[in-house]
Amino acid sequence: MAEKFDNLEEHLEKFVENIRQLGIIVSDFQPSSQTGLNQKLNFMISGLQDIEKCRQQLHDINVPLEVFEYIDQGRNPQLYTKECLERALAKNEQVKGKIDTLTKFKSLLISELGKVFPEEMAKYKAIHGEDPPS
Amino acid sequence: MTEIFSTLFGQNDAQPSAGPAGLGFAAGKPPPPMPSNQAPVAAQIPGQLGDEGPTLRKPGAMNEPFYLLRELPVGNELTGNTNLITHYNLEHAFNKFCGKKVKEKLSNFLPELPGMIDCPGVQDGSSLRSLIEKPPVCGNSFSPLTGALLTGFRLHTGPLPEQYRLMHIQPPKKKSKQKRNPRPLDPLPPETPSDSDPKKKKKKRDDDPDRKKKKKDKKKKKNRHSPDHPGLTGSQPNSNSLR
Repeated sequence: MAEKFDNLEEHLEKFVENIRQLGIIVSDFQPSSQTGLNQKLNFMISGLQDIEKCRQQLHDINVPLEVFEYIDQGRNPQLYTKECLERALAKNEQVKGKIDTLTKFKSLLISELGKVFPEEMAKYKAIHGEDPPS
Repeated sequence: MTEIFSTLFGQNDAQPSAGPAGLGFAAGKPPPPMPSNQAPVAAQIPGQLGDEGPTLRKPGAMNEPFYLLRELPVGNELTGNTNLITHYNLEHAFNKFCGKKVKEKLSNFLPELPGMIDCPGVQDGSSLRSLIEKPPVCGNSFSPLTGALLTGFRLHTGPLPEQYRLMHIQPPKKKSKQKRNPRPLDPLPPETPSDSDPKKKKKKRDDDPDRKKKKKDKKKKKNRHSPDHPGLTGSQPNSNSLR
């Protein structure tokens, strides 16, 4: 899987480098540069052909749209990954806290109900069985 | 007391009750109102019938004196009780992204990319969002430019107009401070921890007797050759300057 990304990355780097050189030629154009310019233009087209060939290998790759917001703002997209992981951890801890609290509440409630309604709780436990260990 | 008990278990129902008739309640007592923000039960009770509400045990059969007592939902092995980052083997990724400081700018992620990439894409119309909202025309094949087509790319000689010159200007790259290589000086004794202080180093250089002698010799030579030199006995105003 990493190979197809490496392949695409290589083609993109070559393409960008070609465009950069094209920009340098154009920034101060001389008549002798015409041949080089034509060559760079055709390299650009062949570069686009190569990138399009890479598309077929990557049709199953999904990119979250939120990453585009980061890129459009000129921010590092790794910050998105970082924030996702941090949010996941925070939510995980939050839910774990809720589970722990509700488990304690359940055991406390059952014990208190057992004191007030011993017969009914015995019947309840007979129907539902003993509580699984939390 | 029994009414409070049944009300308590009645509130455990995640799905709203359809109505008294559908649920088989005894006449005269409507079911308690259900809050609308309750999440649905993870495991569906078998035999559920559309909008009529959950299937209930026959009242007065197995679960007496309990009404509306359902089976407990099937427990999910994976809950928030588990550390999901460990479960999905994301510890390495977590340490990589959250352990170290991730740099803010896009140019730190793509250092080789030319141009001003840290500016917002909206400013120059190069945003990815605009690419999604207005996708370009696709489907045409790429064919190389022929001679006739290349005639359209004959440019005027000379530099670009000023309005287009900024496009290939790159932000100044911060060069990492390279450590200065030590100059080839006289062979110094190996440094001890106390010698690492630059002031002490400078002192050592000054205290070196050989250096003192050399300095004196240089001063004497200079004084001899200077035009204002009164003689060997005269003292010069520059005699104290360090060479």
